[in-house]
Amino acid sequence: MRKIRINGRGEFPGVVEAEALVSVKPLEGFTNCNPNRGCTTERNHPLFKVPYTGKVLVYPSPRGSGGFMSYGVGDKKPAAFIHTEGCPLSVACAMVARIPSMTDFEIDPLSVIETGDLVLVNADEGYIEITKRD
Amino acid sequence: MAHTIFLTDEEKRLLDGGDGLVAQKCMQYLVEVCQVSGAERLIDLDGTGDFHSPMTSMAAHYEFPIEELEKIVAQGAHFKIPTFANKAPFYAQAPIHGWEKCNLCAQQDPAQCQSDPEFHKIAMRDEWYELYRKMGMLTSHSCANYMHATYLPTIGQHCSWNESSAVPYCNAVLGARSNIDGSFATCYLGKAAYYDMHITENRYATVLVKTERLIKSDIEWDVFGFAVGEDAGVHVPVLTGTGKPTTTQFMKLNSAMNTGGAVRMYHIPGSTPEAPTLEAALGGKQPKRETMVGERELKKAYDTLNYRTGDDVDMVYLGCPHLTVVDLMLLARKLEGKKLRIPLWIMTAPWLYEVARSQGYLKIYEDAGAHVLTGTCLAAMGAVPDGVKRLAVDSAKQSYYITGCYPDDDNRLEVCYGTTDDCIDSAVTGKWRGEWR
Repeated sequence: MRKIRINGRGEFPGVVEAEALVSVKPLEGFTNCNPNRGCTTERNHPLFKVPYTGKVLVYPSPRGSGGFMSYGVGDKKPAAFIHTEGCPLSVACAMVARIPSMTDFEIDPLSVIETGDLVLVNADEGYIEITKRD
Repeated sequence: MAHTIFLTDEEKRLLDGGDGLVAQKCMQYLVEVCQVSGAERLIDLDGTGDFHSPMTSMAAHYEFPIEELEKIVAQGAHFKIPTFANKAPFYAQAPIHGWEKCNLCAQQDPAQCQSDPEFHKIAMRDEWYELYRKMGMLTSHSCANYMHATYLPTIGQHCSWNESSAVPYCNAVLGARSNIDGSFATCYLGKAAYYDMHITENRYATVLVKTERLIKSDIEWDVFGFAVGEDAGVHVPVLTGTGKPTTTQFMKLNSAMNTGGAVRMYHIPGSTPEAPTLEAALGGKQPKRETMVGERELKKAYDTLNYRTGDDVDMVYLGCPHLTVVDLMLLARKLEGKKLRIPLWIMTAPWLYEVARSQGYLKIYEDAGAHVLTGTCLAAMGAVPDGVKRLAVDSAKQSYYITGCYPDDDNRLEVCYGTTDDCIDSAVTGKWRGEWR
């Protein structure tokens, strides 16, 4: 099993290991996230209605309104957030979710992580370790 | 991995509880914003603020009960900066005006029907706003407070706003400085985490946007904004080759860019105050990227904003963001003497309701069969009236969000998106005839 480690900046602390769910398109919240069902409801989105509950949710960047924080609301939330770039939307989301969150990686995590990979997120020490499915 | 956060002696005192529980909670919240964002200190705010109320924090971890608010109000507590209420009271988002005919239930929950007088009374959350007004809150309840507040921050002032469509107005149009972080904590303490758009270096453009057509009509600015947002993401674009936007067009551009992307700041050389020239917008550097938002991209965005399989329209919705007094005047001119076949809802800010009445606009709308509401929107209420399966709108933002409330095949909502005139035509005929031109 191939393992890859990438250093980054811990936003919200914590350590967790779970399967990755990768969004190649930026995620949008507010009405385009349904925290009661734990999925994005954005029309045209590759992850339309795909459950993120308990996953390491990997995405390029947040977009849309302050309702982006919906991704961190309730008990259907992901296990962790990993994102390439951020802005105040992802800051607020991490604080609402209170789950390990990381960004500012030395290489783009989306270039390595695929849906289904096992990802150890160590936001305390500032790295992720990806176990590829193969 | 935590980085060092520099606090003043006064801030340390607040954090240690020296000024009571509420101030301590607010400081703890702000310190955590620094930890998550990477900010190394706080900035004292000298501009204005707004927040989603009445919650004392959007993060449940930092909320405190009304009894604690009562205590500090009894001691004479005030917001440190001029503070406005963003939209109708959460989470029901009940209309401030026009609720009697608002025949839908918040979040499609039968227990939260907006036209029910008992529900409306509870949804207004008066017990909170009585306290907030004593603290100085201006209960404007609009997503577009900057259009209705009659009081704006000036160039360079540090603010704390919390509305994605409004923040670019603060940064790009006014030249003041705000992240999307308005909260009880920032407004009460008059402090915010010093990062992102508070810092000069982060405000320069890094993406040079070109276009093939002179962007000049309302719908062109709206569609252009959505396309630019999708392209620029979280980066600061400089927009070239466009006309000079009107106030309404700035509102459309801002709301659309923050639907397609997360554009807190942008420049239009010759129009926005931090861009007297292209070079100034770029901070004297080369752009990291150039991009073309041309005919192909505009058509693609227009097609994305239309989400329909037919031409029969059940309802028309105008007012995202909340309409200005000039928008209301123009709409009255368009609707005068018309008879509408299907419901048309017009959304504006509560503070403009009596203005619309005294100007004679309400009567014109009502005579045509349209209905005016204030303070909220369909997407914020999370619903459309029962039986509405195809909605017409003139707002990229409303188009793209409202369908998220109806993701299932057996209850899908479709959207026709076009100009205000296209929408009015569909209100008169019940048919959609808009197209990209």
